[in-house]
Amino acid sequence: MPRLADKYRYWFLVLPALVIMIVFYIWPLLGIWQISLTEPKAGIENYTRMFDSSAVTTSFILTFRIAILTTIGCLILGYIVAYVISNFARRAKPLMIALVLLPFWVSVLIRSFSWIVLLGRSGIVNDSLIGAGLIDSPLRLMHNEFGVVLAMIHVMLPFAVLPLMANMRGISGAYVDAARGLGASEFTAFRKVYFPQTMPGVMSGALLVFVLSLGFYITPALLGGGRVLMISEYITYQIQEFLNWGLGSALSVALLVATAIVILIAARFVNLRSALLERGS
Amino acid sequence: MTDFNDTTDHEAKADLIEIAAYKYKEGLLTRRGFLSAMAALGVLPALGSKAMAQAKEIIVVNWGGRASEVLQEVLCDTYTAETGIPVIVDGSGPSGGKIRAMVESGAVVWDLCDSGMGTALILTEQGIIQPIDYSIVDKDKVLPAAVYEYAVGNYVYSYVLAANPKMLGGNVPQTWEDVWNTKDFPGMRTFRKSVRGMLESATMAQGVPMAEVYDALGTDDGIKAAIDKFRQLRENIIVWGSGSSSQNLFLQEEVAIGNIWSTRAHLLKDQMDEGSFTASFDGGVLAPGVWVVPKGNPAGTEEVMKFIAHGQDPKLQVQWLEMIGSGPVNPQAAELVPAELQKWNPSSPENLATQIFYNDEWYAKNQVAAEEMYIDALIN
Repeated sequence: MPRLADKYRYWFLVLPALVIMIVFYIWPLLGIWQISLTEPKAGIENYTRMFDSSAVTTSFILTFRIAILTTIGCLILGYIVAYVISNFARRAKPLMIALVLLPFWVSVLIRSFSWIVLLGRSGIVNDSLIGAGLIDSPLRLMHNEFGVVLAMIHVMLPFAVLPLMANMRGISGAYVDAARGLGASEFTAFRKVYFPQTMPGVMSGALLVFVLSLGFYITPALLGGGRVLMISEYITYQIQEFLNWGLGSALSVALLVATAIVILIAARFVNLRSALLERGS
Repeated sequence: MTDFNDTTDHEAKADLIEIAAYKYKEGLLTRRGFLSAMAALGVLPALGSKAMAQAKEIIVVNWGGRASEVLQEVLCDTYTAETGIPVIVDGSGPSGGKIRAMVESGAVVWDLCDSGMGTALILTEQGIIQPIDYSIVDKDKVLPAAVYEYAVGNYVYSYVLAANPKMLGGNVPQTWEDVWNTKDFPGMRTFRKSVRGMLESATMAQGVPMAEVYDALGTDDGIKAAIDKFRQLRENIIVWGSGSSSQNLFLQEEVAIGNIWSTRAHLLKDQMDEGSFTASFDGGVLAPGVWVVPKGNPAGTEEVMKFIAHGQDPKLQVQWLEMIGSGPVNPQAAELVPAELQKWNPSSPENLATQIFYNDEWYAKNQVAAEEMYIDALIN
């Protein structure tokens, strides 16, 4: 009997969160599914229209391409940062962790606007390059895919660094020392001993960044110049501009399904349970 | 900076109301649940105004920024001074979606909304807004093209050809054909993130005379031809999503040429350095902003109609022009416009002669399909 009561007690602990999720997330989500099948009239018309539209297809491809580029960029930069913080930084460690977390305190909006200041035609980067005599006319650094990916890597970086750091913290230095002691070069020890142990961190960082990037809105909307139209912006456009809730909802369902498929595919190659739940242990 | 914070706050609140109102509409929240959600958000006093209808205040909603201040000062405060009825401007942006969510939820907070004809037509069709009472509002004080059964013009603005001569070596594009000529006029252009007012310019750029633009666009081939013009030009296009973004693109010298609102051109002429900004109404598209009244508005129909009639005063409309460049919708106002502003007045007789009037019937019929083709042309 006491065991049973214990079991219920756990449920009581998660109950508030669960209720909030159901009322404010699952329920509206089902509402969205419903709208996608009922507006403007019942049927799958929204979905057929969506698949017939080459603009939607392009936007989906673009969304995935940007998400992949962002993920790769974040992993490379994030890995280096996490590696340095975990293995080399000593006194500077708290400072470096603070610097990684600092961007969280500043709104994404502000960070995206600062990229506009940097990358604009008469922005700081172009002005300095012209001033240094390296270029004659301003480069096009934003209002294109390059600018969007650059700014998104910046925004998403902490989401790659944090899981990697958590993972690396749990890796004992003894393994690499042992490999070195047995005659492995520094690089071989890293590649064969250290790196494989960080794979769970890499995977969870990659998934986190990738999934967040798929639905990202503010940065692409501000820096894309309208020609880098990611799917979330397309959804906003349908709902706000045309009051076309049906197609907008269908698009968001499609995005959700596409994201789920990505996670399912990822699950075939990596153990999600260990990648997402047991990192750092 | 305070302006920015202020807007965000309104936005956030209106957005939350919208979400809750939508849930209520879908039957996902009971009325009681809805009201308590509103109370939790701290917006109940505003919503309660229906219950406290005796308070007799009018909430007018527009799109924020400087226009909100001007609306408050020019129309609302003068009305309060005359009648003693408080009129409050809410700049949270009365998008069609928000108005619909509010009316369908039965919790209407807004009395009068600054809208556009496209939205007004959809809202009329959906039965969301009230007919205008022309026994109170004077039809003769509105350009005939801006009189509708369910909406009435409040000001006019134009889509105009704006350019920065300094970035073009003093060479200013005179026609839309020039805008598409990237050889003689190099540099980026900006067009709206919507076909509104844009397809017209692309059609004129093909040499179609002004008066025949909508005839040409009336055929599928005509639309396709206009869309193709954008496909050709797209490497030189940055789109603007909001009026302020079009203004920024010029201020930051991101673009040399653009098809933007005359209201923004009006601001840019003062903000840009001497000789680095021009705008031409030649080949422009004149569009009216309209008032719409949500069904079941808290202050009641009559009260709002009286307020609309107050706003028809030509003197007040000229003040709007002076302050933010919105053109008077009342034809009698043109002669009151100061000489130096005549050329910036979208509805001056001279400028009216060189522009076409935005054809909302065309938009009602073709816009959705055209928008999709437009996006496709820009990104695919």
